[in-house]
Amino acid sequence: MSKVRGNVAIVGIGEVPTGRFADKGAISFALESARMAIRDSGLNKDDIDCVLPTGALFSGPFNTELVTGRIVEELGLKNVRKNTQVFSGGSSSSNALQIAGALIVAGLAKNVLFVHADKLGTGVTAQGGIDLFSTAGISSEWEVPFGQHYSSVAALATTRYKYETGCRDEHFAAVCVSNRKWAELNPNAFFRKPLTIEEVMSSKMLSTPLRAKQSNMLFDGGGAFVMTSAEQARDLPNKPVYILGESGLVTHFVYSQEPDLTRFGWARAGREAFEQAGLAPSDIDVAEIYDSYPIYQLLTFEELGFCERGEAGEMFLRGDTWPGGKIPMTTDGGMLGKGHIGAGGSVSLLLEAARQLMGKAGERQVPEAKFAVETATGGTYFDAQVTILGTEIP
Amino acid sequence: MSKAIKPAPVVNQWAQPFWDAANEGRLIIQKCQDCGEHIFYPRIACIHCASDNLDWVECSGRGAVYTYTVVEANAPSAFTEDMPYVIAVVKLEEGVRMLSNIVGCDPYAVECDMPVTVTFEKLNDEYTLPKFTPLGE
Repeated sequence: MSKVRGNVAIVGIGEVPTGRFADKGAISFALESARMAIRDSGLNKDDIDCVLPTGALFSGPFNTELVTGRIVEELGLKNVRKNTQVFSGGSSSSNALQIAGALIVAGLAKNVLFVHADKLGTGVTAQGGIDLFSTAGISSEWEVPFGQHYSSVAALATTRYKYETGCRDEHFAAVCVSNRKWAELNPNAFFRKPLTIEEVMSSKMLSTPLRAKQSNMLFDGGGAFVMTSAEQARDLPNKPVYILGESGLVTHFVYSQEPDLTRFGWARAGREAFEQAGLAPSDIDVAEIYDSYPIYQLLTFEELGFCERGEAGEMFLRGDTWPGGKIPMTTDGGMLGKGHIGAGGSVSLLLEAARQLMGKAGERQVPEAKFAVETATGGTYFDAQVTILGTEIP
Repeated sequence: MSKAIKPAPVVNQWAQPFWDAANEGRLIIQKCQDCGEHIFYPRIACIHCASDNLDWVECSGRGAVYTYTVVEANAPSAFTEDMPYVIAVVKLEEGVRMLSNIVGCDPYAVECDMPVTVTFEKLNDEYTLPKFTPLGE
């Protein structure tokens, strides 16, 4: 049994809005988020003894600054023993959460600060972003020469999933609509105007059957959290958000090598995480499911056992996942509604899970949310990371 | 208008025989001499039994489309002039999967499980890419 389970908690969160901020340096997103998270935790800045910055994609030199201690120095953190990067692309949040928890339980750190910042909205051009992501995590020997890139990656999974399940284009559009409904309520989201199925279905085709409004867009942003022991967490101002279950599965590097492009590793990772937590999908109050493209959110939800295969589409259409619905999902708006900020896509989901459980989600608050599931995946969905969080320890 | 320079495969040394064969119009993949499993892409050891007793075998070149997409917009710079083009994952008769392009047909005629066969397209003086085309009636 995991020693992390129930023994560590997120106690502070900080986040800056997702958007286009050409006049701001990426470091300001990191520092503002970090300061907010420390202040929110009720700890003193010098209580932080470990900093885990995750990777920034827009600039190698900026990423190196994070790696070599800039956050520690800029904030004047005097007792930091370790500053080291934890990075697995889009699943960095889950991996950092587990590593931070392990360090605390092992007695190697007391209060860990995790920070993300990136500037993919204004730090690179639109075509530059496409080109950057057509080589990031895509094999230079077996995929790049064939014109593979992230829209086609998502489209390939969508095509096969439709073929096997009979799911229709409007089901994928409904995922975008659901996430937008949450984004409308999120002051940190970029897309805050209502979106209809028709608008999604009539938007420009990118890679069949994936359309422009089913594709995330890249922005600037940042976020941070502070984690400490469960024991100390109970003396701090926020309701502690305990890690209850955590698992993952790495299933491929080259996309063609993924054993099942309609399932990935979610079923096993989910089963293990729920088992560790001592909970079932029916116990979950809020599901922060990684999107980036509608296909992944839809199939992850099914693979985790929230419904039968091929049924999730109807749940999105019916509004089960909307504000006030049966299973509120991706309540920050996701990368489709809030915006994609690199590794920060799932950082945002993790922060939102904590925010919901702390009872601080404002207009988006799911009443009496006690248990949340958060999922994350990196690269071309090379891994499936599942985290169960809660304010009670079952 | 001059054609964009396409990205060439960045070749790992143990995969060189694959690319040499492609230049000769042959599709070869690895086969483990201990457990008998076929392997693609080329590895330094068997991904099934960890044996390093791997050999190259000639492929039939026939397979079926596992999944596909027609790229109409937002392609990487070097590929925008090719749009619309088809990216597909092809499952070969030998059981392995390979990402490639489907060529020599209407891009919108491609379907899942459609039978295809290998064809070779010269990329430059150094490299030839194995691509796939619908298998005739």
